Formats: sequence, C-alpha cells, structure tokens
Amino acid sequence: MKYMTHAVKMLFKSAMQYRASLLMQVIAQFVMTGGELLAVTVLLTRFKAVGHWGAAEILFFFGVMQSTFALTELFGRGITSFPWFVQRGEFDALILRPRPLLVQVMFSQLDPRRLGSFLVGMIAVLTAAAQLELQWTLLKGLLLAEVVLGSMLLLTGLFMIEATVSFFSVKSIEMVNVLTYGGRTACQYPVDVYPGVLRVLFTYVAPFAMCMHWPVSAVIGQPMMALPMWAYFLTPLAGAAFFALMVRIWYIGVRHYRSTGT
Amino acid sequence: MNMNARLRSLRPYMTVFRLRALMETQYRAAALGGLVTQVFFGLVYIFLYTALYAGNSPEMLRDTITYVWLQQMFFRMMFSSDGELTNLIMSGGVAYMLVRPVDQHRFWVCRDVGGRLVGAMMRLIPMLAVQFILPRELRIGLPDGWLSLAQFGLSLLIGCVCLCELMSILDAINMKTLDKRGVSAILNLTMMTFSGNVIPLTLFPDGLQTLIRYQPFAQALDAPIRMYQSCAALPEWALTVAVQLVWIVILRWIGRSMWQRRLDNMTVQGG
Repeated sequence: MKYMTHAVKMLFKSAMQYRASLLMQVIAQFVMTGGELLAVTVLLTRFKAVGHWGAAEILFFFGVMQSTFALTELFGRGITSFPWFVQRGEFDALILRPRPLLVQVMFSQLDPRRLGSFLVGMIAVLTAAAQLELQWTLLKGLLLAEVVLGSMLLLTGLFMIEATVSFFSVKSIEMVNVLTYGGRTACQYPVDVYPGVLRVLFTYVAPFAMCMHWPVSAVIGQPMMALPMWAYFLTPLAGAAFFALMVRIWYIGVRHYRSTGT
Repeated sequence: MNMNARLRSLRPYMTVFRLRALMETQYRAAALGGLVTQVFFGLVYIFLYTALYAGNSPEMLRDTITYVWLQQMFFRMMFSSDGELTNLIMSGGVAYMLVRPVDQHRFWVCRDVGGRLVGAMMRLIPMLAVQFILPRELRIGLPDGWLSLAQFGLSLLIGCVCLCELMSILDAINMKTLDKRGVSAILNLTMMTFSGNVIPLTLFPDGLQTLIRYQPFAQALDAPIRMYQSCAALPEWALTVAVQLVWIVILRWIGRSMWQRRLDNMTVQGG
C-alpha cells in the first residue's frame, strides 16, 4: 500500500515537470471526448430517445462510461502499455524486485492527460443529473462510487487480456481491443437497446450491464431489472470477479514469459 | 521544359508513391486484425442506429447503415500514420531526407497518398466479402447506379489527396513540437468527429448541413459517400468536386508555406 501511494505521488510529480506539454495533452483529450459528447448530443437532438430511454438518461450513461474509462486509463496505464513493456524487455527488471509483480506493473505508469476525458464525463453526468432533477442521497452516491470502482476493475481486466496475450505474441494484436474500446463505444448506451447477441456479450461475458447499466438505472430511478435496492450493490462485484479471474490468467502467462532481451 | 523532362522530374514522386504502397501490402496480418475491429464497430453502430430509428423511416436507416459501412471500410485511409517523419527528425535521419533533390512537401504528400490508398484497398476486399455473410438488414446498400459509383470513386481519389494535404499541415506542426500528443492530436481528434467517423455527418441538424458538408474534414470521405448514396446531377456534382479541389489548393498553400518555414529552421539532432 505504501508502495502504491509513493509510486502514484512520484508519477504525478514527474508528469508535472512538463507542465505546458501536459496541459496541451489534457486539452487534446478534452476535445476528443468533447467530440464524442457532441456526437451523442447531435443524435439525441435528432432522435429524442433511444428505445425507452430519454435524452437525459442517455447522457447520464454516457458520462458514467466516459469518466470511468478515463479513470481506468489514468490509473491503468501500466496495464494498457504493458505489451510495449514486454517488447522492450523491461519486464525483467520488475521480476527481480521483491514486491508483488502485478502491483509494480500497475503503478509503473500513470496517464494524467486522461483528466481531460474525465472532466467531459463529469460534465455530462452533472448536466444529466440536473435535467433529471435527481435527488442525491448517500445511498445513491455510494452505489455510484461502487459502480465506478467495479467498472474500473472490469475494464482493467479487459485490458489485461491484451497484457496476457503479449506474453505469447510479442507483436500486439489490434483485435483484442475489441472488448475494451468496442465496449466503451457500445456500452455508452444501456445494453437493452441492442439485440440479443450484443446484450448477452455485454451482460455475461464482459459484464458492463451488471457493473454499470443495472445499478446506474437504479440510481436514476428507472431500474432495468426488478431487483431490490441491495441487489444493485451486489452486481458491480461482477467486475471484481472478472478482474480476479484475469489476474489468475495473467500470472499463468507470467510463467510462460520469455524475455525479449535488452 | 519538354514533356519528357517534365515526366522525368515527376519520377521520384511516383517512386515514393509506389514504394510506400508496396510497404503497405506487407502488413497483411495487420489488415486482417483490423478487419475484426472494423466489423465489430460497424455492427455496434448499426445496431445503435436501428434502435434510434425504432422502425421509423426505413429508407433513412438504410442510408445510415451504408454510411457506417463505408466509413469503416475506408477507416485505414482516414486514420493511419507511420510516424516516419518524426522518427527521422528524432534520429537525425532527416539530414539524408534533406539532401534529396526533391520538393520535400510534394514527396511526403505522395508518400502519404500511396500508403493510405493501398492500405484502404487491402482492407476493402475482405470488408466487402463480410457483407455477403451478413443478414440483409445489416448489409451495406448498393450504390445509386454505375454513374454514382464512378462519381464516388473519383471523388474518393480527390478526397484522399485533400486529406494528405491536410495531414501535411499536421506534419509541419509535428516537426516543430516533435510531440504528436498535443496540437496535432487535437486536430486529428477533431477530424474523427467532423469527418463522419463518430456519427454520419448526414445526421447533423438540417440547418447546419451546408456548413458541415463543405468544411475541410468532410472532403475526404463524406463528400464521396453522399455521391454513392444518391447520384449527383451535373451542377451539384461539379460544385462538390470544385469544393474538394478548392480545399486542396488552400490546404496545399498552407502546408507548403509551413513546410518551407520548418525546413529553413530545421535542426539536425545527432549524426
């Protein structure tokens, strides 16, 4: 734990050394996610609704997805850039250090420019909450925090697929990104707007619905499932379970690791 | 200068075009990997628009589906960069580049056009093959006739040149900052939205359509797609192509002068 906080502190410090460059990159991310927000707004102006969801609800889902994804990329940089790590043979150094391997990987890098995307996501959530005249309660706040944590674990787990593949194939394969970036694009909208195949994929295989859509729908007062409130606190645990599973698989991958040399 | 000498003076540009194109054909595995991604994204968008249209105006839904597929098919043309120029500058290899007796700006634009066109063509064939195994309601629509297809093809070629002129401006910015993640990233990402990749430009509010279809980002792929969907009558066709050409001239002028300034102040790093 001490290692983690120390690492995070040092990484933020080092990022702050190039303040102008960092600021430009944060703005770039802000513009990118802002472009997606613009796109969603354009669609909602034209169509007014998606399935049984109104514009404000969709905006809320969009914001939760964008800010969660941004946070995952911010703190999970070590995982998302892991294939390069292996390619350069830098993983060897970590194996030698007497600290938990995965913790070292996760906190080897940060990506503070994602704050730009995070900001856009938060703006979307707050705007949508105001439009919905959402009454915030402690319970809803807690549930939303759990949603963010559960979804971050799920996304990190999905990124770990690529990290694990990199043990076996040094050349990174674009295809394995389908569930992460594809998940972000698809699951900006609640899964029930999609037909069966995608719904099953994003409910049971990569459980975005359980981690995000179901509990969020309860927060905005239009539950997708007929579940008691306490049950919505349980479903985001699917993200933690997915993450735990991927950690196991990743460690199996570690045993097959062969250095690329330095 | 007689015809022969003129042709000979164009040879380096044609060669770099061909070399870059050949290089692109070497990445067949990458092309196939990209296929899965593009098909997946295409399907997600199509399911989304099917939900958005909710059974209303099936004609417009068909057009939107076609638009989405064409965007995904030519994704590689729109978004590809091998970062070679920045590498050259960072490694000092730029010194070799500068001693070549060619017009540097034209050389790099030709190189870019070659890479993008051939990269797109290689991905086009498997993407078209995928269409045959898709159920009818998810499939790309046919062009509005042979003339429409011809208009699309020609406009796409002009659009690709226009895009590369635009990208040369980004290159000039990169030459200065040596960091792709700042200014040039902003432009690149703006392009995603305003070239029609995130959502079809045809879905922007009707009042803004004139503005949206004549801005530079729309020239590469949006303009051709509109011709694919409905064959343009002669005056409209002439206007669209004229706008594309005008943007080429403007962007080339900006790109050239920026390149000139950068090359005059180039610092060669290392040796």
